[in-house]
Amino acid sequence: MLAPQHNYTNLSSAVGLGLIGFNEKDIVVDYGCMCFDSLVYASRLSKKIVGINPSYEKLNTLQNRLVEEDVKNCDLVNANYNEQHFNEVFNCVIINSFLEQLIIDTIHNKSIFFDSIIWPKKKDNSLGETRIGFLQTVYDGLRPGGMLYLSYTNKLRFIVFLLLSKLEIMSFFTSFSLKKALRFISLVKAIYLFLYYLLPQKGFERLLKTNGFVDIEKYAVFPDHKYPLKIIPLSKLDECSFEPVLYASREGSLSRIFAGVKRRVDRLIFKKFKLFDLSPSFIIIARKVS
Amino acid sequence: MLCELITNNTHNNNIALYKCYNTNKVFYRKAAFSHWGNKVIENEKKGYEWFYKDTEPLAEIRFRRKYFYELDIPQFKGKKFPSESVISGNEETIEMIIDFYKGRWSTNDIFAIHGDLALCNFIIDKNNIKLVDWEHFHYSDKEYFGYDIINMLFILIYHESKRTFSLNKRNRDFLKKCYIQLVEGVGSSNKILEKPFQNARDYLLKFTDRFLINTNTYDKFVLFGSPLSVLEHFDSIVTK
Repeated sequence: MLAPQHNYTNLSSAVGLGLIGFNEKDIVVDYGCMCFDSLVYASRLSKKIVGINPSYEKLNTLQNRLVEEDVKNCDLVNANYNEQHFNEVFNCVIINSFLEQLIIDTIHNKSIFFDSIIWPKKKDNSLGETRIGFLQTVYDGLRPGGMLYLSYTNKLRFIVFLLLSKLEIMSFFTSFSLKKALRFISLVKAIYLFLYYLLPQKGFERLLKTNGFVDIEKYAVFPDHKYPLKIIPLSKLDECSFEPVLYASREGSLSRIFAGVKRRVDRLIFKKFKLFDLSPSFIIIARKVS
Repeated sequence: MLCELITNNTHNNNIALYKCYNTNKVFYRKAAFSHWGNKVIENEKKGYEWFYKDTEPLAEIRFRRKYFYELDIPQFKGKKFPSESVISGNEETIEMIIDFYKGRWSTNDIFAIHGDLALCNFIIDKNNIKLVDWEHFHYSDKEYFGYDIINMLFILIYHESKRTFSLNKRNRDFLKKCYIQLVEGVGSSNKILEKPFQNARDYLLKFTDRFLINTNTYDKFVLFGSPLSVLEHFDSIVTK
């Protein structure tokens, strides 16, 4: 596994994967390939990595960058998330920022990220079923004892909820029709499912347990799961010390004041009251039963 | 094994520091995320080997050369100090560290520089002193004896000044006392201690490459970022 020490690409944004500890014989799959650094990092430490993404454009870009990085043990597969069924092939599954994408697509009933041609015409409108179906695919592909790495943002709680509520309530009151009323009801249901499944890690834990995962460890991530600077295991809150990560800002006094206020608020929320459900992002690591 | 990420890519070092909770012990793990990080971790390993040569902790320090290197460091027991420690209240510890430095550094066959000696890198359990964070370790000439202590004193001055805006007479007297303690018995060929703060800055400037810094030197070392007039001022305080 030793490589010539010639390139200095920094993969620090893949620091969350350091929680797993890859083995050089591992075969890994990355659903969505949402984070390039993670793909490269996993490829460096494992035997082989498979990246699955339904977008040709995205795959082409990825392929070019993999060539630049001289990554030779990565296979990119052009397929939808549930079109490729593997049977106990992988030692590790990486799902980086991908589940929220699935949910957004399902809520909008169209793909806002992937090529619409590749996305299946017949869509499952139930968030729960989509997610359970996806996790079942993930579970089946893992070898016994294989690891699941799941990272997702918590910020969507505010953004999506406010945005959707605002839009729907406005259209509901401007002109009433039965169709709109039904849409509104389905939206409320979608938001409920969204809150239930995505946001609290407890909902996620339940979902993973239902799908046969064990040893589930949850982590709070700061300031963002795309470039973590601080990761705290939620089962070790008594032993871990939270200090707000530095939001370095040198541009303008207003930004500095904002960063200072944010640090104080963070210290209050997370250090004093330990409200880690409000963490900006989460990582969940689980294992398939041996 | 459960891990907590303590820091990531500090000063662009391409290294993550994890605190790992194993079933029966807690230890720290430094993991590289680039070849630059590998270089720094390998260097840090050399620092630990130099400092803990023939001692018990060395057996617990484990280095793994995978594609990206890893270094496991035991959790040392003892008192730790915050990164923004000041002079006031730490006088006894500082004197103890200078004593320790004079003994430990002059008895070693090969002279070396820690490179980032600060109070926060010490763990003190009664009279047992442990030193961590050897990322900027390098071998040097014995004529540069004292660099690390001068660097540590300047970091303390910096944080003290940030807190109180100026050094009081007590602090100034204490700095002078530290300087006298450090220079006692040092030969005339020493290249640091005549104008300690200015010469320490010059050393940093001359041998920047040895420190393996992957960021602007001004951001990393307060000694480097301070105006020469300030360093002259503190030189005059301690040497007069």
